[in-house]
Amino acid sequence: MSNRMAAFGGPEKKKLEWRRFRYPDSLYSYAGWLIAFTVVVFSIEYLNIPLDRILGMLGRMGDTLASRYYPPDIEYIMDRDYFGYVVETIQMAYLGALFGLIITIPIAWFASFNMTPSRRFVYPVARLFGMSCRAVHETIWAILFVSILGFGMLPGVLALTLFSAGFAAKLFAEEIERIDMGPVEAMRSTGANLFQIMLFGVWPQVRVAFTGIAIYTWDVAFRAATVVGFFGAGGMGWYLKRNVLQIETERVAAIILSIIVLVIISEALSAWARSAVMKMK
Amino acid sequence: MTSFSANPALSRVADRVQDSRRRSRYISGALTVALTIMVAWSVDVTVIQDTDWERIGSVANVWEATSHFIGLDLELFPDLLVPAIETLLIACLGTAFGLILCIPAAWFGAMNITPYAPITYPLARLMMTLSRSIHEIVWALFFVAVVGLGAMAGVLAIAVRSVGFIAKMTAEAIEDIDYGPVEAIKAVGGSNFQVIVYAILPQVLPQIVSVVIFEWEINIRRSAILGLVGAGGLGLVFFRQMNTFNYHGVTSVIVAILIIILLGEAISYFVRRRMI
Repeated sequence: MSNRMAAFGGPEKKKLEWRRFRYPDSLYSYAGWLIAFTVVVFSIEYLNIPLDRILGMLGRMGDTLASRYYPPDIEYIMDRDYFGYVVETIQMAYLGALFGLIITIPIAWFASFNMTPSRRFVYPVARLFGMSCRAVHETIWAILFVSILGFGMLPGVLALTLFSAGFAAKLFAEEIERIDMGPVEAMRSTGANLFQIMLFGVWPQVRVAFTGIAIYTWDVAFRAATVVGFFGAGGMGWYLKRNVLQIETERVAAIILSIIVLVIISEALSAWARSAVMKMK
Repeated sequence: MTSFSANPALSRVADRVQDSRRRSRYISGALTVALTIMVAWSVDVTVIQDTDWERIGSVANVWEATSHFIGLDLELFPDLLVPAIETLLIACLGTAFGLILCIPAAWFGAMNITPYAPITYPLARLMMTLSRSIHEIVWALFFVAVVGLGAMAGVLAIAVRSVGFIAKMTAEAIEDIDYGPVEAIKAVGGSNFQVIVYAILPQVLPQIVSVVIFEWEINIRRSAILGLVGAGGLGLVFFRQMNTFNYHGVTSVIVAILIIILLGEAISYFVRRRMI
């Protein structure tokens, strides 16, 4: 009532002041900034980061790059052996991505809140599986598998499998959670079982998104595949490690350059394939 | 069907639809065959030929090797506290530095505000691609070579590595903004800098914050392994436990990593829900 009086020029008229954040929000925003600032200052103190040396470091970085890494030893990477390792890396990446995607389909099904067979038991287990696959870095998986299975490409493929499964499971589960429940309910009401619902009610809705996610997973797995070899799991990473240990910095520069070129190519390929898939829809 | 054959125009359309369906079926069939051949070939090369099956031995041997890892070295946990804090702080600081590096990358990399498109736009794109395509391990190796062992190398590696993702998402957000406020600020005589601060930044800030928190979460994962190449944190303990064959200790380190990542995920979930 008083508001209306104020609006008509009543006694409670106050001058309005515009603010982007009102009282509780403004407090949260200031508190957020304060916390972020404190954390940064505290970590600089705790980790002994020499802030005054950072600018000088830029110069030193330039020097190091120019004197040690500069003429990349291109001839070194232009030979058959190295090409064989590149092919190995690509194979590891897509095998890992493929196996990971095969695991992902049931995991994502169980881990999507709307379609999971049992919200109380299966859902948390599937979520936990996906999360721990994602949480443990691919290099740690590679080290563990190398220590169990020995050197070679198999541990690399397995490490990439778990990595891709963790990566794709989350995206795919989110995609399943976003579907239209109408067809699912229609099928349920006609007495379809879980598999039939999944196959005819859910799959047609997520097929295109899944293809996109699959291509993206391959792209990410390739990036990871370039280094799992660093810990003995086959591919280009092993080359990199050998040259790092021998301090052949010019060769290291060449290998890194080749990684960059390959990643750019794979990224362009995956962007093209994803847009093609989207067009087909 | 009878109506289709009766009407020549309709039947032509039907033919075309059938043709295109047949073509897409051929394409997907060819793709499937190609994929199957490639997979079979790679399985043969990687899994069958390249693997030293003698060393792996039987299933029992594999199980034995795996069972080393089952169990926790509880005495190690007190020693893990400091590296765990270090790992978290490296992630925080790396993200903060990365954010600073992002400012030029995102500014130059957004097509609509880049100062001089023919030069600055490709430059920013190059920065983003470089940052994303080189793995954090490689970045850490480089920075360890430049600034020496320790947390500093890890912080720089993470900062450089996070630029690509944050800058790319920010630049995309800037490209999608509403132009009303930009024109309004320009109309009252604002400079380019004022346009960015008062018209563009407020529009993209929520997206930037959520991207940064997401990246921070990923950076915890990354900083947990940078110690493997000498950049401090839990990775160093992992490396030491692995080299002394203390398998239970290895599992303990992995559990510690899982715990801090869960913590990070909880914080990130809470903050992002608050923001929206």
